[in-house]
Amino acid sequence: MSDTSPILELRNVDAAYGKVKSLHGISIRVAPGEVVALIGANGAGKSTTLRAISGLLAPTAGDIQFEGRSIAGRRPDLIVRGGIAHCPEERHVWPDLTVQENLHLGAYLCRDKGEVAKREEMVLQRFPRLRERAKQAAGTLSGGEQQMLAIGRALMSAPKLLLLDEPSLGLSPVITMEVLSVIRDLRDQGITIVLVEQNVHNALSVASRAYVLSTGRVVAEDSGAALLNNAEVLRAYLSG
Amino acid sequence: MDLFLQLLANGLVIGTFYALSALGLTLVFGLMRIVNFAHGELYVIGGLLGWSLTDQLGLNFFLALAIVVFALAVIGYLIDRFMMSRVRGQGEEPTILLTIGLSIFITNTALLIVGTAPLKVVSPFANKPLFLGPVVLTQSRLMLVVICIAIILGAHLLIQKTSIGRAMRATFQDAMAAQLAGIRTAHIYGFTFALGAALAGAAGMLLGSIYVAQATIGGLVSLKAFVVVILGGMGSFAGAIAGGLILGVAEALWGGYVATGYVDAIGFALVIVMLLLRPYGLFGKHNERA
Repeated sequence: MSDTSPILELRNVDAAYGKVKSLHGISIRVAPGEVVALIGANGAGKSTTLRAISGLLAPTAGDIQFEGRSIAGRRPDLIVRGGIAHCPEERHVWPDLTVQENLHLGAYLCRDKGEVAKREEMVLQRFPRLRERAKQAAGTLSGGEQQMLAIGRALMSAPKLLLLDEPSLGLSPVITMEVLSVIRDLRDQGITIVLVEQNVHNALSVASRAYVLSTGRVVAEDSGAALLNNAEVLRAYLSG
Repeated sequence: MDLFLQLLANGLVIGTFYALSALGLTLVFGLMRIVNFAHGELYVIGGLLGWSLTDQLGLNFFLALAIVVFALAVIGYLIDRFMMSRVRGQGEEPTILLTIGLSIFITNTALLIVGTAPLKVVSPFANKPLFLGPVVLTQSRLMLVVICIAIILGAHLLIQKTSIGRAMRATFQDAMAAQLAGIRTAHIYGFTFALGAALAGAAGMLLGSIYVAQATIGGLVSLKAFVVVILGGMGSFAGAIAGGLILGVAEALWGGYVATGYVDAIGFALVIVMLLLRPYGLFGKHNERA
């Protein structure tokens, strides 16, 4: 990937919750169209890295560049407008809003109603079950359906870069396979994806490269296949 | 029977006024989890501003109402942006203390400016009685009921059907998800408080045209509004309407059949009964207890 300029680049990013520093000089490069996984045990800083990228948490040091421009510390709405969608851990759909309202709010920044309808149709074609449940409160959906909704909502902003935080968390193996196949489809469509996963085998089945994080630092980086073969790395840093 | 119908009509009219007076309070609580003890004082500002615009400046009633709604919305937005935002996420106690302080500040500032005299908003509607079968209502009250219903309906549509209303509901259900959808949540908080303040101000001006606007009535207004929202369920839109109507009818019947002296106490008796039997109110959810 070194011959193309990255769509996303983190340079020595530090971040902290209050006084507790949880990222120590994270550096990551993602090329356009790539699926990159962040793997590591609980508390390694994977989710925090995504939060820094999407603006939920301003980095205390270092820089984050998206398409060649610094986005470090910008407001989340401006980052969404720039083309980054963050699908957070535990889905965070709005439980009392309908499925359709959840989707429409995903395109909150798009004022063109025709465009919103077009995106909605694309999402509903990808996730037919959401169409059946359009008028239902999102809180009544099953875990798998909520995950589909969360991904669908993120896609409603027509992102160039999609941040997926543990999309298979708490899902049955069958549904997990479905989620992974959706990720492959999105990759084939040209959407760049940063995927956080606890399950290494799942992550590396869709990602071309992975960064291994441990206690807020990048401790290894390699192609998926190489990492899978590197039993030492897996044993040292991963719980899965 | 005729007396009963008359009392019922009176009660429903006053109940509609109560519903509008309480709507801003329940909305700000239901969406923002803020118990706004300055609600009655925002009502007072609406009444006093309505008086100065219609009586002192001689403006048209509806133009004055529009100005009051806009002015209170701006005041509400600023209160949220510069005060409530500082204690956001720190639990309910700081916001309670803050709004109590604010209520004292507003009351005393109003006293400094207009004194204690009761002031009347100039109404365009005649006090002519209208005979509807056995029931007599004044034209001005009937018109106010129509305006109250229109405002309540408008607020409902704003929250349920518009893009900003959806953004409001999303923000208060899950603020992080709202931020990730590109919603500027700080604006949404400000806008919601502005809406609550605008509703309070509108009620203050409208009711100032048939009762009076007065610097010191904020406390009583807040109390009655609390009665209404506890009866209906804290945070429930339908509950505010039901609670308002129940309180209005109960007061009217009590005043008509029993004793006028204790009318203001009847609401609190209802609240005590409600808290014993169904502490989350008629329309509240179990987890919405204050």
